[in-house]
Amino acid sequence: MRRLRWWFLAPSRTVMLLLFLAPLAIILAYSFESRGAYGGISLPWNIESYLRFGDPLYLAILWRSVWIAAVSTLGCLLLGFPLALYISRAGTRKNLFLSLVILPFWTSFLIRTYAWMFLLRDTGLVNTLLEKFGLIHNPLPLLYNDGAVVLGLVYSYLPFMVLPIYAALERLDVSLLEAAADLGARPWAALRHVTIPLCAPGIWAGAILVFIPCLGAYLTPDLLGGGKSVMVGNLIQNQFTTSRDWPFGSAISLALMAIVMLMLWASAKRSGENLL
Amino acid sequence: MRQRGLVLSIYALGTYAFLHLPLLILAAFSFNQSRFTVWEGFSLRWYQAALHDAQLLEASWNSLIIALVATLFSTVIGTLCAYGLWKRTSRWLAGSLYLSLVTPEIVTGISLLAFYEWIFRYLRVQLGMHTVILAHISFSIAFVVIVVMARLGTMDGHLEEAALDLGANEWQAFRYVTLPLILSAVIAAALLAFTVSFDDYVITSLVAGVDSETLPMVIYAIARRGVNPVLNAISALIVFGFGSLILISERLRAR
Amino acid sequence: MNRRVFLMSAVGLSGCGFDRRPRLNVFNWSSYIAPDTVPKFESEFGVRVRYGIYESNEEMLARVMSGNSGWDIVFPTDYIVKPMLVNGLLAPIDHTLLGNLGQIEERFQRPDWDAKLEWSVPYMVTAAGICYNRKLDPAPRAWSDLWDERLKRRITMLDDPFDTMGACLKKLGHSINSSDAGELQAAEAEGLKQKPLLRAYLNAEVRDQLVSGDVLAAHMWNTTAQQAMDASSGIGFVYPEEGYAVYPDCAVILRESKRAELAHRFIDFLLRPDIAAANALAARTTTTNAGARRLLPADFRDNPTLYPGADVVARGEWAKTVEPATQRLRDRLWTELKSA
Repeated sequence: MRRLRWWFLAPSRTVMLLLFLAPLAIILAYSFESRGAYGGISLPWNIESYLRFGDPLYLAILWRSVWIAAVSTLGCLLLGFPLALYISRAGTRKNLFLSLVILPFWTSFLIRTYAWMFLLRDTGLVNTLLEKFGLIHNPLPLLYNDGAVVLGLVYSYLPFMVLPIYAALERLDVSLLEAAADLGARPWAALRHVTIPLCAPGIWAGAILVFIPCLGAYLTPDLLGGGKSVMVGNLIQNQFTTSRDWPFGSAISLALMAIVMLMLWASAKRSGENLL
Repeated sequence: MRQRGLVLSIYALGTYAFLHLPLLILAAFSFNQSRFTVWEGFSLRWYQAALHDAQLLEASWNSLIIALVATLFSTVIGTLCAYGLWKRTSRWLAGSLYLSLVTPEIVTGISLLAFYEWIFRYLRVQLGMHTVILAHISFSIAFVVIVVMARLGTMDGHLEEAALDLGANEWQAFRYVTLPLILSAVIAAALLAFTVSFDDYVITSLVAGVDSETLPMVIYAIARRGVNPVLNAISALIVFGFGSLILISERLRAR
Repeated sequence: MNRRVFLMSAVGLSGCGFDRRPRLNVFNWSSYIAPDTVPKFESEFGVRVRYGIYESNEEMLARVMSGNSGWDIVFPTDYIVKPMLVNGLLAPIDHTLLGNLGQIEERFQRPDWDAKLEWSVPYMVTAAGICYNRKLDPAPRAWSDLWDERLKRRITMLDDPFDTMGACLKKLGHSINSSDAGELQAAEAEGLKQKPLLRAYLNAEVRDQLVSGDVLAAHMWNTTAQQAMDASSGIGFVYPEEGYAVYPDCAVILRESKRAELAHRFIDFLLRPDIAAANALAARTTTTNAGARRLLPADFRDNPTLYPGADVVARGEWAKTVEPATQRLRDRLWTELKSA
C-alpha cells in the first residue's frame, strides 16, 4: 500500500459529506417524523411511515418498477454491448463513433422522450406509415403503455451502458484474443469465454448505471405511460408534491435505496467482485 | 472473422439508426410550416420563434455555464478520487459514492433542498446558480468515478511501481504514467458528466433559484402544454451545434 | 478553494445585469397574463420584473416551501392558500396599498378561504368540464357520458387527484370536497370502472390530440378548452349537469419578500380594469374583476365557456382545502386508481 497524497481523496470526501450525506441525514430524520397539518414536517417522532410498507398496494408498485427496470437494462445491454465492441474496434475513428453515441443525449432528456411521443402517437409517423402501406386499418395503441415506457428508458439510458463497457474493452489485451484464436477458438467462443468475462466490470458498471435510474424513473412513465401506471419514482414524487407527505416520501426513498444496496451487495458477494 | 465483422457492423448501424432517427425526424419536422404531423411546406418560422425567445436563450446560457463548471470540478475531483480508491480503499467514501448512484433523483433533489433550507438560516444566501452547480457536482462525481475505475480495474499496477523504482514520486507516477493511460476514460467520464449535468431536470428544478432557469426546465414547461414544433427547432439546433463542436475537436485532435 | 470561490462569483456576477432599478420577482401560471402587462408595469414604475411560470400548484409550492426561493408574488389556487398560511409562507395584504381592490366581483370579496382578503387577492377563475369533438352525436352533457363504452380509448381524464376524484364524486351525486370515506371509496370504484376505457390521464397535453381527432372527449379545464376551440371550430365544451369544480386563483405575497410595497403596487396594477381585461382576453380566462368584465368585448363577455350563464354558475362548486384527516385517504385511493 503506497503512500497516497491526502488531496487525492479529500475533495471528494468533502463534497460527499456536505452535499450528499448531510442532506440524506436530514431526510432520514424526516422519515421518522410526522406529516405537518397541511404538509411539511412536524413532530412527534414515530415509525408510522415505515409501517405503511406492508400495504400490498405499495409492494405491487415496487415489483412493477423492478420488472420494468430489469427489462430496460436487458434491452440496453443487448444494444449497448455490440455497439461498444464495434467502437472499440474502430481504430482511429473511435472518438468520433463514441461522440455519435453521446450526441443525441445532448438534447434534453425531455426532447428525446417527446421524439417517441411524436413517433408513437395515433397520428404519429409510425402509425401513419403503417396505414399508408396498408398493413393496418386502425392506428395501433403504441403510446401510453408499459412497452412505450421501456422503449423510452432504453433510448434514454443507452450511453450509460455503452461508455463503461467501452472503457473496459479499451484496455483489453488483444493478444489474449489472438492466443484464443491460435488455440482454435472460433470468434463467438472467444467472445464468450475471453472478451466478456474480462470486461465484466464494465458490464456490471453499465448495468448498475442503467438499472438504478430506470428504477427511480418518473418522467418517462409519466409522459410515455399516460399516467396510467405508477412506478416507485412517481410514488415518491407524489409524496413530495401532491400529497405533501414528506415523512412517507422520505421513508419510501430510503427503503428503495436500502433494497437496491442489498441486491448489489448480494450479487457482489456471489461473484466475488468488488464492484467499485 | 470477416463475417462476424459484417454482422457486428450491421448491428451497430442499426443501433445508431435507432439512436439518431427519432431526432432526425424531429429535426425534419422542425421545418414544417404546420404544427401537425402533416407536411405543409418548408418554413423557418419555428426557428425564428425559438431564437427570439429571450427566456429560451437565457436558459440555454445558464445550462451551458452550469454544465461546464460542474463538469470541470466533478471530472477533476472524480478522477483523483477514482485513483485514490484504486490505491487505497475508503469504505465510507466508496459506499457513499455508490449510494449517490442508487438514490433516485427526486430524493437527491429534495434532500439538497432541505439541506440548503437549513443552511440558509445561518448564511444570507438564496437559491441560485451556485446551489445548482454544487448539486450537479455532487451527483456527477459518482459517474466519473465509476467510469474511471472501470478502466483502472483492468490496468496493470506494476507500471507505477516501475516508475517509482526508477525514482519518480507518487504524484509524478500518477501524472506521467497512469494518467496518460486512463486519459480516454477520463474524457469519456467528462463527456458523461457534461451530458448528465446539461440534461438534468428533476434536481435542477428543485434547487434552482429565480435567476437560474435551465433549458430542461423551459423545455418541460413547453412540452407539458402539448407538442410544439419550437421544441423540434431547439433540439435540431442543439444537435447541430454540438455536432459541429465535436467534429471540429476531432479535426484538431487528428492533427 | 479560492479558485472555486472566484469561479462561483464570476458565474454569479455574469448572472446579474448592471441594472440599478428595483427588481420584482413574479411567479405565475403559464399563459396567464397579457404580453404587454409586465412591460407596461416596468415602464410606469421604473422597475424591472422577472416573470417566471409554472404548470401546477405543487410545482410552485415545492419551490416556495423553503422560504428562500427568491420569489415575491405567486398565484396559488384557493385551496392552497390555507396550507401556505399554516406553513408561515405568506405576508399580510395591506388594503391601504390596494386602491383597486373594490373592482373585484362581489362574490369574491368575502371568499370562503380568506373571508377578509387578509392574505390573498383573487385573480382569475378556472373550472373543469368536458371538452369534446363536435362529431359526437349525441354530444356529452354529463360526467356519466365519459363512462360510455362506445368511446373506448378515445377518452382522457385529468391527471389530477382532486379533479378526477371530483368528477367521480359528482357522477355519484356527492360534493367534490367530500371527506366521507364511503363516498370517496365509491368514487374510486367508479374511477376503476372507467380506467379500461381511458386512453390516458393527461392535462393540457391532450389539447392537440383533441384537435387532431385522436381523442373524442376529454376532461379539461375551461381555459385549455377555450384554446382548443380557438384552434378548431370542431371542438365544443360543456359544464356537466351533475356539477363541476371551480378553482379561483389568487395573488399572494410571500413572507420572504423584501419588496412587499412594490409587490402591492404590482397587484394593484393587475386590479386595474383595463389591465385585468387585457389579461383575461390574452389568456382566454375568466376574470374575477367586475370592472374588467364590463370592458370586455361583447362576444368574449358572453362566451359560454368562460362566462357561462347564471344557471351554469349555480352548478359549480368551489374547491376547498382538503383536511389532513382526509388527505391520507384521498392519496391512497388515487395511488390505487393510478396503479391499477
